[in-house]
Amino acid sequence: MSAGSFGFGRRVAPTAIILAAGLVLLYVFLYAPILYVVYTSFATDVVWPFPLDFTLTAYEDLFASSLYGEALSNSLKLAFGSAVISTFLAAGGAIAVLRYRSRRRGLVMFLFIAPLFVADLLIGISILAFNARVLGLPGNLVSAMAANAVQGTAFGFLIILAQLVRYNWSMDDAAMVFGAGPLRCFAEITLPTIWPSLFGAFLIAFILAFNNLEITFYNLGAIPTLPSVAWGSLRFGLGPELFALAALVNAFVFAIFAAMYGLMKTGLVKFGYRGQ
Amino acid sequence: MPNAALELDSVTRRFGPVIAVDRISLAIEQDEFFALLGPSGSGKTTMLRLIAGLEQPDEGQVRIAGEVVTDLPPYRRGVGMVFQNFLLFPHKTVAENIVFPLRMQKMDRAQQQKQLGWILELLHLQGLEARYPNELSGGQQQRVALARGLISRPALLLLDEPLANLDRELRSEMEVEIRRYQKELKIPFVYVTHNQEEALTMSDRIAVMRNGRFEQIGAKTEIYTNPASAFVAAFVGHANRLDGQLSEIDGGLARMNWAGGQLLVPRPADAKSGDRVRYFIKHEDLEVTAAGLNGGGLNGHVANDINQVSGTLRDIIFKGQTANYIITLPQGTDLVVSDTPRTITLKPSDPVIVRWPAGSGACFAAEGA
Repeated sequence: MSAGSFGFGRRVAPTAIILAAGLVLLYVFLYAPILYVVYTSFATDVVWPFPLDFTLTAYEDLFASSLYGEALSNSLKLAFGSAVISTFLAAGGAIAVLRYRSRRRGLVMFLFIAPLFVADLLIGISILAFNARVLGLPGNLVSAMAANAVQGTAFGFLIILAQLVRYNWSMDDAAMVFGAGPLRCFAEITLPTIWPSLFGAFLIAFILAFNNLEITFYNLGAIPTLPSVAWGSLRFGLGPELFALAALVNAFVFAIFAAMYGLMKTGLVKFGYRGQ
Repeated sequence: MPNAALELDSVTRRFGPVIAVDRISLAIEQDEFFALLGPSGSGKTTMLRLIAGLEQPDEGQVRIAGEVVTDLPPYRRGVGMVFQNFLLFPHKTVAENIVFPLRMQKMDRAQQQKQLGWILELLHLQGLEARYPNELSGGQQQRVALARGLISRPALLLLDEPLANLDRELRSEMEVEIRRYQKELKIPFVYVTHNQEEALTMSDRIAVMRNGRFEQIGAKTEIYTNPASAFVAAFVGHANRLDGQLSEIDGGLARMNWAGGQLLVPRPADAKSGDRVRYFIKHEDLEVTAAGLNGGGLNGHVANDINQVSGTLRDIIFKGQTANYIITLPQGTDLVVSDTPRTITLKPSDPVIVRWPAGSGACFAAEGA
């Protein structure tokens, strides 16, 4: 006899209670600091914000500062450029790894994801040194985009590969027999099926580059980005506008995922074709 | 010879040490329904892919309508193809799937719509234009795949086991239809299958493939009634297989010692007395009767040009139009006889006699002997 079969309503097994409590603790562990930052951004006293004395001065300070505006603009450009480069390289790599079977496939894949195991600081310094000493290139927004794309490509590769392994390449055979050349075939058949993974790779690469401090810092020098401005202002203590900034960035990321979820739920957008 | 629809000239394809297609030459006429029949791994799908351009031959030449296409990519060959798992484009509607070949040819829109209307009617697909492939039944998907293959009236239609994923009833319905389209449109079809019934039902000519070579190529009746090798005899049709030893050669016939008696069989080429042979006789060539008063004890007996054996009826497998009578012979082997179920009133464990004309069937030297 299983629990709950005697007509006294649902009985909950003790193990289920323990597992549920564990789940709640896990969420607290993951999200309590973020919620604390958002909460504090509305407080007058950011050192001990309990009970809440509501104010928007932190946001007013943030928007009043021209430095943050310029930094945001740079960060968006940097993130967009890096995400485009990453998605392009990651998609090319993933398709090649799956289409052209090689005995060294494992090695090829490892070399794609290896940058994930290297500290940001080391990637930043190495690229700076290489660009400056070997190539004689100055640090600017473009070289920072390229430098950030190193990790973006590695993450993007994993994301695209995960969806692409389920793609039926015979579909391309069919398109080719019916007269589609390789480019046409990719645009008409492959891309419409795999675009959600490309979009996912783009988003991740965008967020990585947007949030990155070390790699960007070494390749941009004096040009401000949001993380470098935030880092710089830390010298003057943990100011209220930093809480406001953190709250806004989190809200932005959350809004993107909420919008995607809403679109999927209402069926307006289908993220990928889900098999026959 | 005027331009054949398709010619292969000593085409070879290797995959590492494996020779998938081994020096195949072949000419297929306009209007012809040609079947490539063989077990899996025999190289028939590779051959189809070589014709389509999805594989490149290591040696040899492929010509379509007289033009050498060996080095052309698939999108410049102008052939149509129907794939085993349909391979409809999942994100395109039925209509978009079907007109895809026309769009790639940059045909103008009005003409595309006209052709679409024609093929939808031919294949009874009206009303499904706006559906997506995952909203269709298996049979409908198959029709859409056929429509896509035929809409541009290609120089050649290649079909790769197109019915393998359909259930039996639908399959026999589609067999008749596919043959009808081929005859109506007069487009040469090359049909790959491992199912001998499909090949026999639909095609005009059959090539039986094995290990990358043609075991036999010819009209389907020829393949069926006159197999050129033990492999073809076993693969096409349903035959009883009897292993024995030749004892006496007599012109085109030979006596085979078998299970303590003798049978009169066709003489295999170059066979000598004492050779071990394998004899095939089709189920429907045998006749079963109740062992009468003078019956019994006939085990491998030739009388009045009739081979006879006696045995016990073990079971009757009723199949509708026919029935299979399974007869156990005294030494333990089984013979299967296919006959109309109404003509005979036999019951299991009745003693019976099996007869067939002496010298019918096919006999080959035992392989590896």
